[in-house]
Amino acid sequence: MSEALYAWLIWILPLIGAIVTTILGKFEKPRDYLAVLFSFISAIFATLLIPSAIEGKVIHEQVEWISAPPLSIKAGILADPLSIIMANVVAWISFLIMFYSLEYMHGERDLTRYWFFMNFFIGNMQLIVLSDNLLQLFFGWEGVGLASYALIGFWHTDEQKYWVGKIGQRALGIDLAYSPSHAGMKAFIYTKLGDISFLIGLLILFSFSGTFEFLKLAEDTSWVKELSDRGLLPLVAILIFGGAIGKSAQFPLHEWLADAMAGPTAVSALIHAATMVKAGVFLIARLGPIFYLASQTANVSPFFETVAWIGAFTAFLAATQGMVSKEVKKVLAYSTVSQIGYMMLALGVAGLSANFIIGYTAGFFHLMSHAVFKAPMFMGAGALIHVTESKFMDEMGGLRRYMRFTFLTMLLASFSLAGIPPFSGFWSKDSVLKATLYANSPSSYALFSLGLITALITAFYTFRMLGMIFFGEKNNSLEKVEEKGHKVREVRPMMWIPYLVLGVSSLILGLVGPLIESNLEHLFGGYLKESFKIEALEVVDLSFIVMASSLPLIAIGSFLGYQAYMVRRIKVDKIFERSSFVRTFHKFFDNRWYINSIYYIIFMYGILKIANGLYRFLESIFDKSNDALALIIVSFSRAGDLFDIHVIDRAINGTASLSSLFSRIVRKLQTGITEQYVLFFAIGILIVILFMLI
Amino acid sequence: MALELAQAVFIPLILSPLAYYFGKAGGKRAGWLTFIILLYSTVQIILSASKFSSSDSYSERFDWRPFGEFGLKLDGLSLPFSLMITLIGTILSIYSIPYMVRKISIEIETSENRIRRLNRRLGIYYALYLLSIAGMLGTVLATNLIQFYVFFELMLLPAFFLVSEFGYKDRERVGLMFFIWTHAGALILLIALIVSGIYAGGFDYHAVSKANIPENIRVFLAGSAILGLLFKLSAFGLHIWVPYTYSEAPTPISALISSVMTGIGGYALIRILTFLLPSAYFLSLLVLGVWAVITMIYGALLALRQTDLKRLLAYSSISQMGYIIFGIASGQYFGIAGSVIFYVSGGFGKALLFMAVGAIILQTNTRDINSLGGLAKNLPITAIASMIGFLALMGIPPTIGFQAEWLLFTGAFRGALEVNAFDRLILAYIALTATIFTAGYSLYMMRRVFFGIRPQELKDVKEAPLIITLPLLILALLTILFGIYPNLLIDRLIPLTYQILR
Repeated sequence: MSEALYAWLIWILPLIGAIVTTILGKFEKPRDYLAVLFSFISAIFATLLIPSAIEGKVIHEQVEWISAPPLSIKAGILADPLSIIMANVVAWISFLIMFYSLEYMHGERDLTRYWFFMNFFIGNMQLIVLSDNLLQLFFGWEGVGLASYALIGFWHTDEQKYWVGKIGQRALGIDLAYSPSHAGMKAFIYTKLGDISFLIGLLILFSFSGTFEFLKLAEDTSWVKELSDRGLLPLVAILIFGGAIGKSAQFPLHEWLADAMAGPTAVSALIHAATMVKAGVFLIARLGPIFYLASQTANVSPFFETVAWIGAFTAFLAATQGMVSKEVKKVLAYSTVSQIGYMMLALGVAGLSANFIIGYTAGFFHLMSHAVFKAPMFMGAGALIHVTESKFMDEMGGLRRYMRFTFLTMLLASFSLAGIPPFSGFWSKDSVLKATLYANSPSSYALFSLGLITALITAFYTFRMLGMIFFGEKNNSLEKVEEKGHKVREVRPMMWIPYLVLGVSSLILGLVGPLIESNLEHLFGGYLKESFKIEALEVVDLSFIVMASSLPLIAIGSFLGYQAYMVRRIKVDKIFERSSFVRTFHKFFDNRWYINSIYYIIFMYGILKIANGLYRFLESIFDKSNDALALIIVSFSRAGDLFDIHVIDRAINGTASLSSLFSRIVRKLQTGITEQYVLFFAIGILIVILFMLI
Repeated sequence: MALELAQAVFIPLILSPLAYYFGKAGGKRAGWLTFIILLYSTVQIILSASKFSSSDSYSERFDWRPFGEFGLKLDGLSLPFSLMITLIGTILSIYSIPYMVRKISIEIETSENRIRRLNRRLGIYYALYLLSIAGMLGTVLATNLIQFYVFFELMLLPAFFLVSEFGYKDRERVGLMFFIWTHAGALILLIALIVSGIYAGGFDYHAVSKANIPENIRVFLAGSAILGLLFKLSAFGLHIWVPYTYSEAPTPISALISSVMTGIGGYALIRILTFLLPSAYFLSLLVLGVWAVITMIYGALLALRQTDLKRLLAYSSISQMGYIIFGIASGQYFGIAGSVIFYVSGGFGKALLFMAVGAIILQTNTRDINSLGGLAKNLPITAIASMIGFLALMGIPPTIGFQAEWLLFTGAFRGALEVNAFDRLILAYIALTATIFTAGYSLYMMRRVFFGIRPQELKDVKEAPLIITLPLLILALLTILFGIYPNLLIDRLIPLTYQILR
């Protein structure tokens, strides 16, 4: 088998798996295991491609898709180092999550739907990764959106136990708790907004370039000049970036992701670690070099500037919300939004600097390490929710003694998230921060500082989360659970093995972190040079400065979190009671900066109000126009058939039956129509036509 | 056998009385006869399609003095339309059987001779149904303005009877409304047709396209053709008949009118305006574009607030027609092709949705959204079909809706950029952004009907019988297959529009 075929199979196999699952719907065991098997085989094929990534080979194969001259579009796969590494991250993490689902979803109803959409999700994500053109990528892009809609709303019967958020919490009069079907719809609408922006950018780009293919876009850059001559180039790039904002839940379209926690936890893990939110980052990684190339002849810096600022601001925004959330999955969700912000920041500053490769590698490195540490955290959280029957951290507590493997995993992954050396998150976050310093932009230091503050907050909320769940005393509500007969103890190995594997991987990844970073840099350096002729420049190494500034802040954040929530020497409740300053901010963050509520007020209720107003006023005017028109026409036909006879008769030339029929029908209408009349009409029409033919 | 197109059009026409007698004698048999006839027509269309390739065409011509030629012509433009008409017509003819039997039975429950009345009414239904389809098919295959108009009438009149005879409450008033509004448009169009025929000295399309009509007359002709057809296309301001007609017509007929019949206005707009009067066409782009955008947003906004399933779909159809008009307003071959594919995708989508709604009405006896909920459990196939229908409307791959959307908007952007029309660029931007409203009302409806808490009284609702779900599944499958591989529809369409609008 050729390597190109492997690349095709990576995304086709999960899709076939989805169909097979549906066919086998009635046979539960084979259905479940086959679903997992398909994702496994797809992962194997991804691994088989790694050698060619290391060689720096670019595998490209096309088939005819749409051919309607002058339009000709080919479907194809493009397996270059970028997509091969990404495909591997996606495939293996997805497979582990699928494996975990076997146990996690055991006993749920409608699992056929679950397996179908999980495989559909993975297949479409791999389609995004391996597509050689934007149109085909968009298929995967929307497929991923569809799958997330279906899976977030998996428990669409909306029983209260599936709701996300604290029922009753309101901000500006808007509920902050959502049912699964509501959350699914919310996710779809937000990401669709991004997709529309993406599509606009994409189609304007296509109008100039005449091609969707990445390689051709990079090869023949005449479109750059035409677009920039009209002043559209940065705009188009930003519009395309809009797609990434939606999918990756960046400000201002970030509000859907926290509520997407209404779905099963395995789904959350898939969305956060392997698919969906990573799609946005991947898109920028895919197109970044092309726009960077364009920046040599035109001004694209507003685009990169936007990417960097949105990334940095989102990182901060989400981190502040992660600090106050009480739901374990929501803390993780906010942290994802925040970490993706870092990736965007890195990719944005890459385009602003003379050495594109540093930021590019940093962004991708952070993507990889985040994927590896976020997936086990979600899976662990799923186990915790399973055992404690609550998603609120203040109803957990003291679990380190009861769930050792889960605790160990969460600890390893959390250290990575907090950025503690030598875990992988430390290295990748540092390289992101480092990249901001290379940016050739006035905002370089501002971005750097924002990134540093976020690092502090991240460390704090990570320790807060660990402390609230695993330390302190066993909570009362846990005893209630035990009274019901569910013992609080470790979950079965089928469940903890997958996440422990990933937790340990994140440690290993950290131990060899600097090595990976330099290897990635080498790999991408070669790739960018080969495919885009982007050269790596020698720069001063700033690693030490970055470390010197980030480590103390991370230490402070961790220490505060440790004192307040693990050993609980700082009494949080007391501070909260005493300081109105803390209360104000707590409320502000907890109400999500009120952004969510404002969106609801303006876009949902506002638009419904407009619709109602239109219906009441405008539509009733049209109703009247209808009566008026009816009156005119009826009186016309009563007055005589002058109009008909003069216009239609002449046209039909003697076949007067049609027109007299016409006016007689109208008159007859006032008395109602008999069936015989209908029949007569049918035959009459027939005769008319036959007559005309002869 | 030769003369495939003539067979496709005239066999349903000539055999329509037979459908009546079949119905009178055997009730449901009329439905199966109709199905076979329309299937035959579909096959004939496909056979004729295989006879030409690329920007070519296949036609059958007959002498038809004094109007010129009576021709039936299949080219890249009429192919998608005629394929849709026969295909949807065929599928709906089976779907109609259980639906109409049920509906008529309820209405005549108290009268004497129930079986006889039922059978007779079924016969009439199918006779009219066949006539209307023959009319539509003739309209899109016509090569002569008068011929076009005769078929146009043949399409409208039976539809009018179907609405006013077989509809729901207030059906005679609503039928009259449908009749008056569509005819107001048809008459304005007729004036344009006759005047252009007189100026061109003949009614054949090719004569008109080559004729040397003075510029100001051309503008007048284009203006009245646009106005006349916008009535049919239910553009904003001329749409008031749509919510009434679609919600009160029997559901299969709502599906037929909304998914294939209304869009024929789009066909006529392309054929008459773009192909025959190109110079006037280019003058009208901005007006058409603005009107289209208002239509799409207005329809979608009103769809958001509806609580009646069929009314919701009616407003959604208005909005969808806006997109067809918008594609035509692009002045660019991609846009025109996009409009045509939009007709196909919207047709699939709306047919699926109306059929699904029909299934809901059959199974629950209500179409009030407020009293529905959580039905995905009871009606899984209906739920899937509705979702796929909505995906087609929203333009989400892998449904054909996406192929339509990207072609259409590529045309819109290109058309604006080619002539540096900044206003039209903004318009295209607004139009594409407005698709969010489509997503809004679609998902909102899905959520209220299929998800969430299920009312107690719906606990025992069962999935519709196979004779209803099977057509739904077939249509859903086609929606996706054409979405992944649209070549069959566009490989002849784009070369043709390219050749005309180069």
